[in-house]
Parts: sequence; structure tokens; C-alpha cells
Amino acid sequence: MARRSQSTRLHLAVTILMCAFVSTDGVDMNDLLERASQLSDKLHSLSTSLTNDLDSHFPPIGGKMMRPSMCHTSSLQIPNDKDQALRVPENELLSLARSLLLAWSDPLALLSTESTTLPHPERSNINSKTKELQDHTNSLGAGLERLAFKMGPSSEALSSLPFYNNNLGQDKISRLANFHFLLSCFRRDSHKIDSFLKVLRCRAAKMRPEMC
Amino acid sequence: MGISSGPKPFLTVGVLFILLSPATGFSAPGRPRVINCRSPEKETFTCWWEPGDDGGLPTTYALYYRLEGSETIYECPDYKTAGENSCFFSKNDTSLWVDYNISVVASNDMGKSVSEPVEVDVVYIVQPNTPESVMVSVLEDNHGPYLRVDWEKPQSADTRSGWITLVYQLRVKQAKDETWEEYDAGMQKYYNVFSPHSGKEYMVQVRCKPDHGFWSEWTTPVYIQMPDYMPKVRSMWIMVAVISAFLILLFAWTMNVKQNSVKHCLLPPVPGPKIQGFDQQLLKNGKSEEMFNALVIPGFPPTSTYEDLLVEYLEVYDDEKRELVLNEKNLIEGSMKSKSTSSDNDSGRGSCDSRTLLMEKCVDESGTEQELSQYGEASWASSDSEGRDNPASPGLEDGKVQMWPSVFSSPQSHNFQQQHPGGLRASHHSVPEISCVSPQVQTCCGQQDQLEGFQFSKPGLYRYAQMYSMDTIECKHVAQEPQSQSQSQSQSAEYVEVQTVNQENVLLVTPLSNPEGPNPELSDFSGEDYSKVRDVTSDNVLLLQRDLSVSQFVGDYCQDQIGQVDPCFLQQQQQEQTCKLNAHLHHPASALQEDMRLAGNGYVDTTMMMS
Repeated sequence: MARRSQSTRLHLAVTILMCAFVSTDGVDMNDLLERASQLSDKLHSLSTSLTNDLDSHFPPIGGKMMRPSMCHTSSLQIPNDKDQALRVPENELLSLARSLLLAWSDPLALLSTESTTLPHPERSNINSKTKELQDHTNSLGAGLERLAFKMGPSSEALSSLPFYNNNLGQDKISRLANFHFLLSCFRRDSHKIDSFLKVLRCRAAKMRPEMC
Repeated sequence: MGISSGPKPFLTVGVLFILLSPATGFSAPGRPRVINCRSPEKETFTCWWEPGDDGGLPTTYALYYRLEGSETIYECPDYKTAGENSCFFSKNDTSLWVDYNISVVASNDMGKSVSEPVEVDVVYIVQPNTPESVMVSVLEDNHGPYLRVDWEKPQSADTRSGWITLVYQLRVKQAKDETWEEYDAGMQKYYNVFSPHSGKEYMVQVRCKPDHGFWSEWTTPVYIQMPDYMPKVRSMWIMVAVISAFLILLFAWTMNVKQNSVKHCLLPPVPGPKIQGFDQQLLKNGKSEEMFNALVIPGFPPTSTYEDLLVEYLEVYDDEKRELVLNEKNLIEGSMKSKSTSSDNDSGRGSCDSRTLLMEKCVDESGTEQELSQYGEASWASSDSEGRDNPASPGLEDGKVQMWPSVFSSPQSHNFQQQHPGGLRASHHSVPEISCVSPQVQTCCGQQDQLEGFQFSKPGLYRYAQMYSMDTIECKHVAQEPQSQSQSQSQSAEYVEVQTVNQENVLLVTPLSNPEGPNPELSDFSGEDYSKVRDVTSDNVLLLQRDLSVSQFVGDYCQDQIGQVDPCFLQQQQQEQTCKLNAHLHHPASALQEDMRLAGNGYVDTTMMMS
């Protein structure tokens, strides 16, 4: 009798703690998603601005030759429309977002390295923005990782999207073309991440209908 | 016919063909151009193109698209929904995050033309529809009226799931103004515009934008008319001003009415000195006497009794068995007391009683007493009617003979007796008189044999003194010698001057103004303008004497007339008016009338005259 009472008491305590933890997580998740969506929005805006800077002086000369399907993240299966996206569970959406974000850590590093010597009149601007892009990506990655921890173990699975290029090219045009191509790929992927996170945000904030 | 027309028809047909072919537009169409593609909700999109030259022939346009990574060309599924020269891509045909390669082909009978291909990613061409149900209303709060604008999201946009996130923007301007005021409303669907001008008409428009897309078109403007109103702040200040003005007027009126009390409160009057009993009104009325009388405090200055001012008794003793005591006392008091106390045993020394006139003390008292008593009785008998009740009846004490002035009233003269009481009573003197005439007095007193006579004669002296005051005790040592000396001696009752008091306590007196002899100078006493009375009629009328007569003559006259009278006594009376009167009494007819002269000083003593 004594042992049973002790075990039941222990289970009760653990249960209470778990409930509190989960309840607090709910509140924290909303805030985390809000923060993450703000970051992703910022990320995409930066990439768009960077692309505009890059195309200001040079026409998209390499746009026709390299298609976005050639991005290293194109192999990732993502929902293509809204109906598909709304049917995807939250943790899968989060996983996709995290996978994409994780896939761009290396290429962004390359871009950051290449932007310093990029033969472009807007190089300083491009350089600063590229650096900022890298920072935001890292912070978003950390936030999404924490979010994934709160969501559960199923969101822990990530798709590997390796990036094998270690330079953009040798000549000026190649470098510019490659830089432009990478940037375009990143722009799209950042949009994907932003969209997924905003869907997750509105799905979690059921208590605040005015936000969504 | 021989077809042998020649080359002319051939040339004609060719010219006609060349001329006619351009007019019919027989050419391939020009290249169309894709204008833009838009997606309102990130679910569908529409592309519009611009047709080129059609080439004169009916040209058809076809839109073909290709997705990236595939070579499959698809044609636009819907050319109608979006209108002319448009292609509508439905949800099924829309894929996100995929580039569309869209081109338009224009074709006609003459040929085809293909437009430039356009790369389109749907997520980048999002432009929502305009907001819907824009409503503007005028509301009021504490600060005044304001505009409230409410709207709805475009119906196509799915913001609920978070697929699309819209931010709104509105702009307001007065109907007559040119510039708009733009406000960002964020993701909310209402907005308050404060401080609008009263009485003006306003226009409001709203638009929206997705998080990464294009702004929508402005809604159709909504007009609102602001009502006329008075700002509350202004009305409040007007009320405050009115109330404060009213309060100021009230305060000024109150101050005016109560200015005295206010002045008294603010500037209290300096208290003036206050004198007890001082009445300013009396001073103002001009009656200073009353005012000063009010200041008089009863009891101040302290008035001492008359008694305090008086000199104490002066006791003079005669060591040779005779004592003369002079007592002075408050005449006023003494006059009152004299009636009350008969004798005053202040000491055994035989001091003079203040109330009683002192007699010298003779050694031989027995005989003296007897005689005195006889005489006294006689005198008393004569004046018993008035003298008895006198408290000043002398009591014969041991060694002390006190004789009343009434004693002095000689039996001879009834007048005297009668006068005595009057003289007694009416005696008020302030000045004691020492009428010890001369040293002869002493000797006279020292002689016992003459004592009796002296005693008898004393009454005259004493009486004289008594005339002036009852309480005045005059010790007169009248030295009466025998007749031989009597004449020379002027036992006048004039004032004497006390020179010294010898060792034996004897007053040495000298006549005041006639050290030589009183007789010839008796008339000098009356050197002043005194009138001498000749006679007093029965009607109490004084008959004044014209000129003076020699005392000697008078003395003789008196002597002649009054033979029986003791010479000493007679001599005494020479000096006095009573001599004349006596003569008149006894011999009223002749003697007096002839020589109505007054010996000695013609001093009139009214007390003696009274009968």
C-alpha cells in the first residue's frame, strides 16, 4: 500500500508538471511562431531587395539559362498550392521550413564570401545585405529548432539538401550569373518558409482571430 | 482565237495582284505582348496580353505556357473569364513556387507570331482585390468629434488560414483639397481620424497589400459631411471666464461695502494710550474742567488732617513754684474738646491743659484756693447761667489752678461775665498769645501777697487772652506792682515777644514793638489805621473815637472812676477798652461822654462789645 501510494504520488506530480509545461508551451509557441514569421518575412524582403540591387545594372542575363528547377533544394517535396499546404500537418510544415532553412546555410556563406569581391557597382550594398541575410537565417534557424522541440519529436526529421558548389565561377560573368542564380533560389525558398510559418501561426492562434 | 494575245494580259494581272494584295492585310499577325499577370489570392492568376498587328486577317491568339523543368506546353485553359485577350488560370492550373513560361501566339491565315515569353512565379504577382464595405461615420468623445472608417477584406483573400496576410492603408482628404493624408492601418480593419474640421466634407479611400505583393486598387471614395459643432474646450473657457468675472465683481462689491471692516482687519489701528478716567469726549466738548475733574482721584493728594500740621504742644515751665504752661493745640480740635473734657491730667507737672487756660501755680494754695474759690464762686455765680455748663470749668487741682475765662469776668462787670461766654465760645485763635508783658510779671507773680490781687487781676489778662481763643492759653505773667508801678507799667495786653527761655524754664518776654515803655507808646500800637471805638451803644453800634488820648489820662480817668477797683486791675483795664466800658457802665452819663477816649490801643474787640 505504501509503495503504491508513493508511485501514484510520483505519477501525479509528473503529470502536473507535464501539464504545466504543455500549457506554458502553448503560450510560448504562439509567441515563437509570431517571432519566426516576422523573421522570415524580413528574410524574404531582404532577398528581394538584394535581387533588385543585383539586377539594377545588369539585365538578367543568366536567367534564361539557369532555371530555378536547378536549385539544390528543388528536390524537396513541398505543397504547390493552398489546398495542399493547408492539408499538411503542422509539424511537417515546420520540418519543411526547417529543412529549407538549413539547406541554405552553406550557400549563404558562399554568397557572403563572394559578395565582397563581386564585380558589381552595388557590391557594398549587396555585401551588407548578404551579411544580414546570413544573420537572420541563423537566428531563424535557432528559433525554428526550438519550435520544433516544442512541437514534438516528429518535427525533428529533416531532409538533407546538400550544396556542392564551393565557388561561383571564375570569370566575372559566371560569378555574377551564379550569384544571381543562387540568390533567386534563396528568394523563393525564403518565400516558402515565410508562407509555411504564417500558416502555422494562424493555425496555432485560435484565441486571437483578429490576427488571421 | 488564237492564243496569240501576247504579253499584255500577263502584265496586267500581275500589276493588279500587286496592287490589291496590301489592302487586304494579308500578313502574319504581329507579335503580341503579355502585359502582366496577376494573382489576387495566391491561388489563381490571370494574364493579359496585348495583341499586335493582326495582319489584316482574322488572328487568333493562343497562350501557351510551360512550367519549369518540363517541356510540356500547355495552352491557356480559360480565355473567357478574364475578358478579352486574357488567360485565366484556375486553381488546378496554378502551381506555386514554380516559374511559368508564358507566351502568346497570334496566328492568322498568313502566319503566326509569337510574343516574348514571360517568366512568372505566381507568388510574386499577388495583388489582392480592393477592400470591401468601406464605411465612414462621425463619432464623438471627450475631445470632440472624429471620423471612424470601417472596411472588410476582399472576399477572395484567405487571411483566416494565414495563406495570405493583408495590410491596409487609407487616405482622407477634404473634398476640395488636393492632397491626401495617408494612414497605415496595419492588419486591422478600422481606423479613427481625429480632429476633423467642422462643417467640411471628407473623402475616404482604402487599399490593401499582401505581405509580399502589390497594392490593391483604391476603393471608390466615400464621402462624409462633418457637422457643425463648438469645441468643448472653447465653451469651457468661456464659462470659466464668465464665472470668474462674476466672482470678481462680487468680491469687489463686498470689499466696497465692508471696506471699513476690511481696513480695520488689514491695517489695525494703533492703540493709543489709555488713561484711566480720561474721556476724550469731554475734551472734545471743550469742557476741560469736567475732564480734569474726572481725572481727579478721590483721596489724592493725601490730605493730612489739620492735626498733623500742627506743632506739638509746647510746654513751658516755671521752676519757681509757678508753672506756666503754654499749651497750644489745634484750635479747632481744642474747641471741640474743651467742652468735653474738663481736665486733662497729662502729667503731674501741672502742664497746661490744652483746653484750659492755665493759672500759675502758686505755692500757697490753700489760701489761694479759698480766695480763689470765693472769687470763683462769685464769678461763677454771676455767670452761672452760662458758665456752669462750660466744660472748661476749672477744676482746682493740686498745685494747679485753673480758672476759666469765665472766672475772669469780674464781678464788677456784668458785661464781662456776659461776654465771657460769648468770648468763650467765640474764641478761635490760631495764634497763641503770650501776653506775658514784662519781666515784671514774674516778680508780680512771685509775690504772694499780691497773688491774690494778681489773681484777681488775672482774669483780666486771661480774659483778654480768652477773647481770642478758648483754647489758647495764655500765661500771662502780669506783674502788677503797686500803683506806683502800675502806671509806669503798661500792663498792656499787647503782643510780647518771647526772647529766651532761661535756665529756670522761664520765658523771658519783651513787648513786641515797645521795649521802652508801653505807656507812651501805647498810642503807637495803634499807629496803624485802626479806628478806636469810643462806645458801643445799646444798639450794638460802635462809636469810633476820633483821636487818641493819652493812656495816662485814661488811666487817671479810669482810676478816678473806678476807685474801688483794684488798681492793678484798673491799670489793666487802662489798656483795654473794657476800662472805658466799665467806666461807662458805672458812670455812664458824664464821664464817658466827655472823654470818650480810649486808652491804649484803641483796638476794638468785638467780642467784648457784644452785650
